[in-house]
Amino acid sequence: MFDRLEQFGLMIARIGVWSGGAMMIAAAFIIGTEVVLRKLFLITLGGADEMANYALAISTVWALSFALLQRAHIRVDVIYVLLPKPVSAVLDILSLLSLLVFAGTLTWYGAGVWQTSWDFGSTANTPLATPLWIPQGLWMLGLIGFSFTIVLLLGRSLQALVGRDFAKINEIAGTLTVDEELKEELGAVERADQIHMKNTQETKVEAA
Amino acid sequence: MLVSTLGVLMGLLALAIPVAATLALLGFVLNYSYSIMPLHMAIGEIAWSTSTEFLLVAIPLFVLLGELLLRTGIAERMYRSMSYWLTWLPGGLMHCNVGASALFAATSGSSVATAATIGTLAEPQIKAQKYNERLFLGTLASGGTLGILIPPSINIIIYGALTDTSIPDLYMAGILPGLALAGLFMLTVLIACLVRRDWDGEKVPVSWSTRINGLVDLLPPFFIFFVVIGSIYLGWATPTESAALGVIAALGLAAGYRRLNITMIKEAVEGAMRTTAMVMLIIIAAYFLNFVLSGIGLTSQLTDFITGLGLSSFETLMAVILFYVVLGFFMETLTLMITTVPIIAPLIIAQGYDPVWFGILLMLLIETALVTPPIGLNLYVVQGIRKSGPINDVIIGSIPFVIAMFVMIGFLIAFPDIALYLPEAMRD
Repeated sequence: MFDRLEQFGLMIARIGVWSGGAMMIAAAFIIGTEVVLRKLFLITLGGADEMANYALAISTVWALSFALLQRAHIRVDVIYVLLPKPVSAVLDILSLLSLLVFAGTLTWYGAGVWQTSWDFGSTANTPLATPLWIPQGLWMLGLIGFSFTIVLLLGRSLQALVGRDFAKINEIAGTLTVDEELKEELGAVERADQIHMKNTQETKVEAA
Repeated sequence: MLVSTLGVLMGLLALAIPVAATLALLGFVLNYSYSIMPLHMAIGEIAWSTSTEFLLVAIPLFVLLGELLLRTGIAERMYRSMSYWLTWLPGGLMHCNVGASALFAATSGSSVATAATIGTLAEPQIKAQKYNERLFLGTLASGGTLGILIPPSINIIIYGALTDTSIPDLYMAGILPGLALAGLFMLTVLIACLVRRDWDGEKVPVSWSTRINGLVDLLPPFFIFFVVIGSIYLGWATPTESAALGVIAALGLAAGYRRLNITMIKEAVEGAMRTTAMVMLIIIAAYFLNFVLSGIGLTSQLTDFITGLGLSSFETLMAVILFYVVLGFFMETLTLMITTVPIIAPLIIAQGYDPVWFGILLMLLIETALVTPPIGLNLYVVQGIRKSGPINDVIIGSIPFVIAMFVMIGFLIAFPDIALYLPEAMRD
């Protein structure tokens, strides 16, 4: 059951990241348009910054689960890497627990922020007068999703702990080794290179 | 209170608890132990107001800009073109490594990305042209650190946000020290290769027409730099707006090189949002912790403690530098910065030092932390690129450049105008 849930979780997390990214690209274009209009035509649309702010808040929390599934949240692992597998596995579970305490509190009081705006019908103190429950609601959804992802991974890890499968725990919640981290970082550069080489070769062929 | 706080912080970090969770838990513990008010209830408000701060919108945009540029292939063209102009010097391609890193840094806000990009392009040439491996690797690891000093810089934005310092001022202040440091790196290579001729690589003759024709490949990075930094310098755009313009320009370049497609954007977005989520979660936790720290009076207690030591302002500065050098050995740099700046920067500024100047000094200190073992991210990046041989080669090769960084720190302390001249010129 956990496997299916995890697949499902990863899918949702990816959709979250892509929509968050789309929001940020849209924000870039809206801000860019505003700068150009302001500079060249002395027209101020207003509201671009406000939209971008919401985009930041929402896309951040929507990407939290993806970052967690990819083990991207920074941990200081100077001592961690020296420990035997069972001990580091326990630390992995502790680290998920501590994230849960943080994310749980954040979600609870974040929902409180939304609740207040909803109850009082608060609007942003800006020309757009955005009803705050809308962006805050989307933001709260992301926080809830993040907390759920942590619970899911915690369940998976505890299951593996019962089965004494320490390698599995490390795979779910361990820190990335330097090699794994580099693969992420370098993958893009190498792919760009390959495409470039392919293109140059094609040009050469064409020239010949 | 001070000792127990530090104890909990170090303890949680040592247990490899995620940094964001560590900061938040520390906030909860301190709130529970020392506060009569339920400060933790404010975490929702703090998180919402922090993540809707327009200045911080610059973070995802700059990360995205970097991820996009990585995939346009401009770095490779730029490196090749620069090699035509610099290889005749004693030290050859090693100058190109530094120069290309500096230019790439002018389009990218990250030191790791700079080292990874230039390193991947340059590394195959060590064997091909018979360079001294260690020194060559040193230029890659240290050249990469220029990424956070030369604007745009994500670390500078975070410093500015945490200390309420003007980002345009900080950006302008980073340019001259960045160029000077690149110059010092090149000087280091030059001296090393004049003393030890055998460390130099084989010379590849380059014709003048190749050189001139190659110049066109230097244009894209300058174009991005002009869009991002020029728009700030001319007062047309705020840092966040300039980042947005940079993203649009990068998309345009990618389209021009026919690299723009859905897969490429998906990858860039995934990379950018992953980094953003990670950084923002730490920032949210740090803002909450700072709220608790001032709420329980720890910040003022610390300030009183330092003032009570009766150190002169110069002695305080030296103590702070020592503090960062020591912690820099063991801590990941982003964590180091976000946890310490809210407390250290006010201390230094209270001693009469300029916040912009201190921001640049801090970037230099962080650069040294990036190339000093055991936790020096750039060392591992470069080691990861070469795939074989001991990491000691990279560490030893970086030593001369760490010395150059400390020389630069000395210059910056002796002549603060290296940093402060351009921000003042911008205002006139």
